[in-house]
Amino acid sequence: MNRSWRDLVAVAVVAILVLLPLFGSAFFVEFVMTRTVILGLAASSIVFLSAYGGMVSLAQLLLFGIAGFMVGNAVGEAGSKGLKLGWNAWVAVVFALAVTVAVAALLGALSARTAGIYFLMLTLTYAVIGYYFFGQVTTFSGFGGITGIDAPPWFEGHPVRLYYVCVVLSVVTYVGLRLLVRSPFGMALQGVRDDPVRMASLGFNVALHRTLAFTFAGFIAGVAGVLNIWWNGQIDPTSISIGPTLDLLIIAVIGGIVHLEGAWLGAFVYVMANNYMRNLPFADTIGLTEARFNTVVGLLVLLIMLLSPDGLVGVILRIRTAATGLRGDGGSTSDDASDHQIATADGGPKGPPVPTHTREGSIR
Amino acid sequence: MIKSQTRRRLRKVVAAATTLTLIAAACGGDDDDTADEPAGEPADEPAPEPSDEPADEPADEPADEPADEPADEPADEPADEPADEPADEPAAEGGSLKLGILGECEGAFGGFHEDVVAGVSLAMVEDGGATVNSTTSALDGFTGANVAGLDIELVGIGCGDDTADRIIQEVRALVEQQGAEVVIGPLSGDESIAVANYAKDHPEVTFIDGIAGAQETTMQVQAPNYFRFHGDGAQWNAGLGDILYNEAGWETAAIIADDYSFGWTSAAGFIADFCAVGGDVVSRVFPPLGTTDYSSFVQQLPDPDEVDGYFWVVGGTGTNAALEAFVNAKGDLTGDQHAGNLFFSPALASALGPDIAGAYVGGFASLPADIQTPEIEAYLASADATWETLAAGAAGGEVGPPSVALGFGFGYGYYAAGKALNQALEAVGGDLSDNHAALREEMSTMTLDVPYGEVTLDENRHGIITTYVQQLVLDDESGEVVAETIALVPGVDQSFGGTFSPDTPPPDRDNPSCETRDLPWSGNAIPVVDGVPQE
Repeated sequence: MNRSWRDLVAVAVVAILVLLPLFGSAFFVEFVMTRTVILGLAASSIVFLSAYGGMVSLAQLLLFGIAGFMVGNAVGEAGSKGLKLGWNAWVAVVFALAVTVAVAALLGALSARTAGIYFLMLTLTYAVIGYYFFGQVTTFSGFGGITGIDAPPWFEGHPVRLYYVCVVLSVVTYVGLRLLVRSPFGMALQGVRDDPVRMASLGFNVALHRTLAFTFAGFIAGVAGVLNIWWNGQIDPTSISIGPTLDLLIIAVIGGIVHLEGAWLGAFVYVMANNYMRNLPFADTIGLTEARFNTVVGLLVLLIMLLSPDGLVGVILRIRTAATGLRGDGGSTSDDASDHQIATADGGPKGPPVPTHTREGSIR
Repeated sequence: MIKSQTRRRLRKVVAAATTLTLIAAACGGDDDDTADEPAGEPADEPAPEPSDEPADEPADEPADEPADEPADEPADEPADEPADEPADEPAAEGGSLKLGILGECEGAFGGFHEDVVAGVSLAMVEDGGATVNSTTSALDGFTGANVAGLDIELVGIGCGDDTADRIIQEVRALVEQQGAEVVIGPLSGDESIAVANYAKDHPEVTFIDGIAGAQETTMQVQAPNYFRFHGDGAQWNAGLGDILYNEAGWETAAIIADDYSFGWTSAAGFIADFCAVGGDVVSRVFPPLGTTDYSSFVQQLPDPDEVDGYFWVVGGTGTNAALEAFVNAKGDLTGDQHAGNLFFSPALASALGPDIAGAYVGGFASLPADIQTPEIEAYLASADATWETLAAGAAGGEVGPPSVALGFGFGYGYYAAGKALNQALEAVGGDLSDNHAALREEMSTMTLDVPYGEVTLDENRHGIITTYVQQLVLDDESGEVVAETIALVPGVDQSFGGTFSPDTPPPDRDNPSCETRDLPWSGNAIPVVDGVPQE
């Protein structure tokens, strides 16, 4: 996708999101789209690690949950579970993000020397440990979780404000990640992704780059976790169990795990299916009830993996390419320019097309 | 090159500026939206044409408005909105009420989905003349219910999985998407705490608990629009510890309980009751809800020769599995060395054999089959007349007579909730004005007349109930294991005779502690012989 087209689409999507409360129903904005944007934000941390760091992480929902649990522990005042510290909501945010980033740095450092399936398994282990930790240790939660957590007073009675904050933070994250991957750190990270041995021999600290990337992704997941508990009012270990952990990865895969935009697109498809599938005409008669949601999503993922390994964004790109071809524009395909953008240090397209992560699919 | 860079920068600036402008514009719109819409609309609409609107408004408003109103206004204008809205509804005639049910289609209690929806449906059939949409499945809902002049419209059936996370998504869909004005449910403990907290943020909706038994839901959360016409897990075990200590000779007990709010509450009732009269709880083990392999948890329990008895609070799909793990680890069951809460049923004998006979069982919302009154018989007959068959969770999911589903506490709890709503609506003439003020006042003060006994509510809108103790015994004639009621304990309140209060820590793994205390029913339970209370 060339850059102008990509920017145009991004601006158009943001414009729609911004204007949505003016014409969308309250439920659609405050529930469906707010959840979409929050999950998209969390999934973008997976996409960032996968697309630019070559690390497919299953620990992002854990970090998302840690931030939520920390907010719950910090602001909670009553109930049978949690620390019930009764702190100011904004202090709680700082506390939650600090803890999340610290945990992300620790987990990132522990897993920085692994790659591929080993990294995946290690982060899955983190997720399982996190689930049982918060389930078993009632000092922080217990299986019942922490409920009755209110967003800061500024949001009280104004859920649309929370929606806007989610949108703004998503835009900031998206733009920030695109800038980051073009920075020297981002370029080095992509070098680490493509050939860690060569990068090490060139003097780059591979483990440190991976750790920093994991920590940064943890921060993004933590921000999403804070927004989530403000939006949902509660969090429990089930929120970060294996099912939802895989769901977040599925969201990234549906959208396209090698495209940042895919995180939000995947979240949109996931949340829409989750909320509206049961309302489809005749859905009941063919067994499409809420209880079958996971089956439907599983089939969707299977289809996407077979037809478009780089997700729905990949489908859109192919349509765009085909349309360009039909118009007889000729020249380089739209993907090439942006790929060069990512793959070359100076951010400009030059030279013949080189294979990049977007051309190789999501498995690295 | 330079030109291209300049163009790129220009494009970025334009994109950023456009975005910021749009954000600014929409944020402005948001403020207008939140400030004007709810305040403006209700003020305009109801006043001019209060009598014309009812037919149209209820149908339109819930669909469009509820999502706006509750979300935007609840904190700011609770007093205004309700006062306006009802203006077009109170006249009951021709009005409508959107009802949502929070059921349980997955998780440890997922098998009871049919039962609980059947409970509410039966109440609507009896009081509102509703017709069920299918005679073989309650999940198809009902139509044509009219109570106190209000058409009761079932807008949705939420599908919980016994977790707070899921039930919040479901209740939000019912209230914010479907516009439910009254919600009946949920079923499980942690869910009810989450929904009660949600209720606080949605004062325009009335919630009636289905059959969730966590103490914290009403005692600590205390949402003014959340009602519970049954007891909690602790109340259902009142009198059990007293009987075990004084009649079965238990002096020490070990507890194994699901590690969540209902498990803790249920265990709390037993601990308070057993320790009150001098018993000692020597071990507490808490497997997570939904555990399938209980062997490691059973191993943590003392051996049968080290303790007088075991109290089991392992519910749903876990009861059988946990007891089987016990048999594997500790040897055959000795019935009277075991006691359980409501999940100890004669059905356990099919997997465990008759050794389970002799076990003691705490009470629940409905009475065991050995007590029959004309009201109970009429109630069960009414269920059988409404559906041909139901795949009741109470029957292990097997298709059978509907009365099986309604005769068990899950279905009955939801039935009682539906009856409470109907009874209160009739009493106030369908008046939903002022955030259902009259309806809530009526529910808070009325005596609910339901087949298994009357229920009144305490100051936290929680049921004061009669509970009972059963024992699993071998039937003389059939040789099968059946439940026999051995005692009744009337007037059990949520404070458990002063043991619990909003200021005491909610039940958890360590609370309450085991100490002697005076309970009003210790030594005063009413014996039941052959299904007849010996008052």
